[in-house]
Amino acid sequence: MYMCRFRWLLSLPLLLPSLPVLADGNLVDRVYDPYVQPLETEIEWRTLRLRDTDDPSRDRQWLHRLGIGYGFSERFFGEIYGIGERRPDESFELEAVELEGKWQLTEQGEYAADWGMLFELEREFGANAWEASATLIAAREWGRWVGTANVAAIYEWGSGVVDESESEVRAQARYRWSPVFEPALELYAAEDLLGVGPVIVGAWRLSGGRQLRWEAGIIQGLTDESPDQSLRLLLEYEFF
Amino acid sequence: MKLPSENPVRIFVALTALLLPMVVNAARPVLELEIRDHLFYPSVLKIPANTKVKLIVYNRDPTPEEFESYELNREKVIMGGQKAIVFIGPLAPGEYPFFGEFNPKTAQGKVVAE
Repeated sequence: MYMCRFRWLLSLPLLLPSLPVLADGNLVDRVYDPYVQPLETEIEWRTLRLRDTDDPSRDRQWLHRLGIGYGFSERFFGEIYGIGERRPDESFELEAVELEGKWQLTEQGEYAADWGMLFELEREFGANAWEASATLIAAREWGRWVGTANVAAIYEWGSGVVDESESEVRAQARYRWSPVFEPALELYAAEDLLGVGPVIVGAWRLSGGRQLRWEAGIIQGLTDESPDQSLRLLLEYEFF
Repeated sequence: MKLPSENPVRIFVALTALLLPMVVNAARPVLELEIRDHLFYPSVLKIPANTKVKLIVYNRDPTPEEFESYELNREKVIMGGQKAIVFIGPLAPGEYPFFGEFNPKTAQGKVVAE
C-alpha cells in the first residue's frame, strides 16, 4: 500500500536513461511548486556555487539570479530575472535575462496530485543564444510529506550555439516539520547532471502578509560529468 | 549517446500516464465560510475525519484576505467581494487552526475533524 503511494516518485529514475545527452545542462536550479497567489509580489535572489575538480573552467563558478514577480490572477504568475555569473579570475557579468510564467492548473488538494505548468524564455547575451522551456509541475501530499516533480522540455537556439532540444527532471521530497524548518531531499537529472542532496526550506512570517522564504542545499554529483558539489541558496521576499 | 529529441514528449506522456490513475474526483461534503469585518463565520468548522471536504470561502469585505493555515497546508488569497474554493483533508481527528493573513489578530478560526 505504502509502496503504491510512492510509485510515481520511484518511477522517475526509470525515465532518466531516455534523457538526451547534451553539453550544457549541468546546473542545479530549484524545484517549483504549482501554486499561484494573486496580488503577491516576489523579489527573489538565487545563487549557485559549483565545485568541480575535473573541470577548472567551472570550478568555483558563481551564478546569481535576481528576479521580481507578480501574481496576476488566481492562475497566472509572471517573473523576470537578470542572471549573472562570476568565474574564477573573472569579474561578475550579467549573462542573461529570463521571462518566466507559471500557470496553476488545479486547485490545491482537489485531486490526488496538484498540477501546474511553467514556461521560461531566456536570452543569453555572451553566447548569443535563446532558450525556451515548458515544464510540467506535479505535487502531492502524504500527511506531512510533500513530493514535487518538475519535468522540463527545453529548446535552445541561436548563432552562438548548436540548435538542440534537452530535457530535465527535478524532484523534491519535503517533510513539513515547522514553518521555519522543513528538511528535504532533491534529485536533479539533465544531460550532464545527475545529482542528489539534502535541502532545508523555511519561511519567516512578517506582519502585513509579508514573508521571507529561504532554501539552502548541497547537491552531490553522482556521475563524472556532474559538478562534484552544487551549493544552492534562495532568498525570497514576498509581499502584497 | 544522443537519443531522439522527441524524448521530452515521451517523458511527459509517461509521467502523465503514471499519475492519471491517481486522479479521483468523488462527491465530497461542501461547507461554506464567510469573511465579514475581518472575522470568520463560523469560526469553528466541524468536518468528518478522514474525508476530503470542499470549502467555499466568501469574502464579504471589500479588501482581499488570505485564508492561511500551516496545519492544513493551505494558503489562498480571496479578493474583496469574491469567493474561492479550498479543498482540505482528508484529516485525522483533531483541531487545525487557520487565520486571515492580512488581519491575523481578528480573523481566526479552526477546523475540527471528528
